[in-house]
Amino acid sequence: MAARKILVATLIYLFLAIGAGTTFAQDSARGDHVRVRWLAPQSFAQGTAETIGFYFEVDPGWHVYWRNAGDSGAAPRFDFRGSAAEVGDIQWPFPVRLPIEHLTNLGYEGDVAYLFDVTPAAGAERIELDANLEWLVCKVDCIPGFGTMQLSRPVAEQSSWPAADRALRDRFQARVPVPQRQSPWRPVGLSEAGPGSLRLTLTSTGGRAAVPPQVFPTDGELLTAAAPRVQTAEHRINYTFTRVPGASLPDATDFVISDGQRAWSLEGVPVGGVMRPGQSLWLLLLAAFAGGMILNLMPCVFPVLSIKLFGLVGTGATTASRLREGLRYSAGVLATFAVLGAVLLILRAGGAAVGWGFQLQSAPVVLALILLFWLMGLSFSGVFEFGHRLMNIAGRSHGGSFATGVLAVFVAAPCTGPFMGAALGAAVTLPAVAAMAIFLVLGAGLAAPFLLLCASPALLNRLPAPGPWMEKLRQLLAFPLYATVIWLLWVLGRILGESGWLIGALLLLAVVFALWLGRNFARGGRVAAYTLVVAATAGAFGALQVPQPEEPAVTSTSVSNGWHRYDKAMIAEALAQNRPVFIDYTAAWCITCQVNKKLVLESPKIMELFRANDVLLIRADWTRQDPEITAALSALGRNSVPVYAWYAPGAREPELLPQILQERTIAALFSEQPRTQHAEDDTP
Amino acid sequence: MTQVIKRVLMMTLAVPALALAVATPGEKAPAFSEVDAEGKTHSLEDYKGQWLVIEWFNKECPYVRKHYGSGNMQALQKKYTAQEINWLTVISSAKGKQGYLEPEQAMAVAASHELNASAPFLLDSDGSMGRAYGAKTTPHMFIINPEGKVVYAGAIDDNDSANPAVIPQSKNYVAAALDASLDGKAITVASSRAYGCSVKY
Repeated sequence: MAARKILVATLIYLFLAIGAGTTFAQDSARGDHVRVRWLAPQSFAQGTAETIGFYFEVDPGWHVYWRNAGDSGAAPRFDFRGSAAEVGDIQWPFPVRLPIEHLTNLGYEGDVAYLFDVTPAAGAERIELDANLEWLVCKVDCIPGFGTMQLSRPVAEQSSWPAADRALRDRFQARVPVPQRQSPWRPVGLSEAGPGSLRLTLTSTGGRAAVPPQVFPTDGELLTAAAPRVQTAEHRINYTFTRVPGASLPDATDFVISDGQRAWSLEGVPVGGVMRPGQSLWLLLLAAFAGGMILNLMPCVFPVLSIKLFGLVGTGATTASRLREGLRYSAGVLATFAVLGAVLLILRAGGAAVGWGFQLQSAPVVLALILLFWLMGLSFSGVFEFGHRLMNIAGRSHGGSFATGVLAVFVAAPCTGPFMGAALGAAVTLPAVAAMAIFLVLGAGLAAPFLLLCASPALLNRLPAPGPWMEKLRQLLAFPLYATVIWLLWVLGRILGESGWLIGALLLLAVVFALWLGRNFARGGRVAAYTLVVAATAGAFGALQVPQPEEPAVTSTSVSNGWHRYDKAMIAEALAQNRPVFIDYTAAWCITCQVNKKLVLESPKIMELFRANDVLLIRADWTRQDPEITAALSALGRNSVPVYAWYAPGAREPELLPQILQERTIAALFSEQPRTQHAEDDTP
Repeated sequence: MTQVIKRVLMMTLAVPALALAVATPGEKAPAFSEVDAEGKTHSLEDYKGQWLVIEWFNKECPYVRKHYGSGNMQALQKKYTAQEINWLTVISSAKGKQGYLEPEQAMAVAASHELNASAPFLLDSDGSMGRAYGAKTTPHMFIINPEGKVVYAGAIDDNDSANPAVIPQSKNYVAAALDASLDGKAITVASSRAYGCSVKY
């Protein structure tokens, strides 16, 4: 019954369509306000693809649609039947936005050609194409049109076009989007910007791209067609689109951008974070490897490695055994990165907000590291011999090399420099396999120099021969370890407040006292020493469980040296008043952050500049895991610090400054001179 | 002072919230109160604890004709109202615009179209209900669950052709969502691009 009704309705529909002037089996079609004809050569060239099309002539004021029709309407449909030729996909010239009362459509006002490639079948003498067309033409009201068109042309040595038609074809072909590679703009981010919206960030690749391009979403199920809110800041342009109510976010989506003359397609822009410009996974992996290598030079990694290298020089081991050590070390690094990566991915999958340096946001982990570095430092100073006991952790035994690798990763994490930040930012937003690859390559980079030294006797031979200097070197190496202990104590203090210092320092005292006992009072002393160390350690770790410290001065107006604690309400208020805002996302355990703070942000000159321009200064301290700050960071597409967010007066979207700050970077924010470039864009 | 800050914050939060106040899957359905062609008032409250389908209609629209000419829409209305699901068909065309109907005309159109909804057309000529729901096109479809939440918003099906011949091969989102809900299953597609003619506010 229903089927018959549909059939009857279809027949009536077809009849109406014909009645409206559409003709069958022709090389043109007509409907209300629309005439369609072929844009094709008189003859096709043998075996050569030719771009041909349907040319729509539309009455003034009426329009036909793009592939994504927008808030209403429908794209035309072209259905090819049984042709002795290979027919490609429809190529859609870029559209314009057509505001229709309360809606926005994407389409063409005036004439347009929908193009496609066609290749004659091998040996064919003619091309015969049969196409069913359906279109919708609208002003405010819409009229569907329907037709069948046939194309029959000979295949010859060369194609020959009527000059006017070829010119028309070329005109519209120039408006068909080409791949992004050739575009003057690159997508650098696509992420949620508040409920029901999605923000695309483009950056210009050349100087001439002065006017922001038009951006059209390809997926009408995801984004509405209304013109996005556009904000420009230097080389970056933000487009904030409204999502179709209830549309869930896909992994990636497509856009077409146009400067009004030409257009480019942005395909598979990943949703959910900062994307390094136009980057393939290879470039990311390369950056991760370089970042891993540089981590070797970080002050928090170098001491650990020097212990190990020192061990290698001392033992006079064979190349084979050194290589074994190197491989064990590499295995330790890689295994740890794999585990951390897996944990991060699992947490990410669970929707938990998590950031990289989190090992150092946990007080017990910090205390354990303090203890370890203290013991190593003491041992290096010759207070006691690590011997075959604790030295196992970073020493000569087989497990030792593996453990050194594990340790290296843990202490490297807070040193996330610009390299690691970029790679990790990408890793968090990439699919699981790619993210894991980045973690492993980062680990490989960290392990590589050490492995190289182990593998190449030539290089190792460059290291001086063992001798009395070793004792002095060992003692010298103790000092970086003590420095690390001080730094970690400070971190503990930031986590726990003043009690952190006290607990940590008391534990160190207990350890030294126990060592003295053990050395000076033979048997009984050693028992007492062990007891003391165990008791002190248990006591110290127990003390950590004691209530989390009260928030230092909880009021929202808490100010320190002109900087306010992170407070969303205060930021919103300042932005509402068009007051400039500078947010310093920082953490005690982040060395880069501290350097920037001391040398740049809190320098008298810069503080004076901030004051003169009435900038609201916000310090978002991430030393402890603060969910609000974690969320704010992830909204910026980051999961590590430092991040410097600058809201120019009246701006609603922040500009992110480079991770390594310089005074002139900040000064440039207040001068009319355009800055030359973003250091952020410099990272590979 | 804190009060002032709070107020400023609330205002800054309220502005985007207002802008987004359209029927969104997963959120509370916007309230409405409209008179039907017979003069009876219908409001969201009346349908508390029950399933409700809302459909936007314009008899001149080719896409509405696609689904009514083929009997597709009436068949859906008949099938689901028989299962105690309420179905309201709304006309939001303003007076003087395409698709506007006076009450007696609406009664005649309901009869000629064999409308099987729970009531004759709701006449929303001031567009208040259409705007509250963010109704963009005819037909634009919404499903509201007994808790008063929107569970589907979008097109009737996945084929935006005006040709009724495509209906048998199309995936009907509304039927799929209602069938899944009646079976106690999750709705797989809760949102889609509504296709059709613009609502003539």
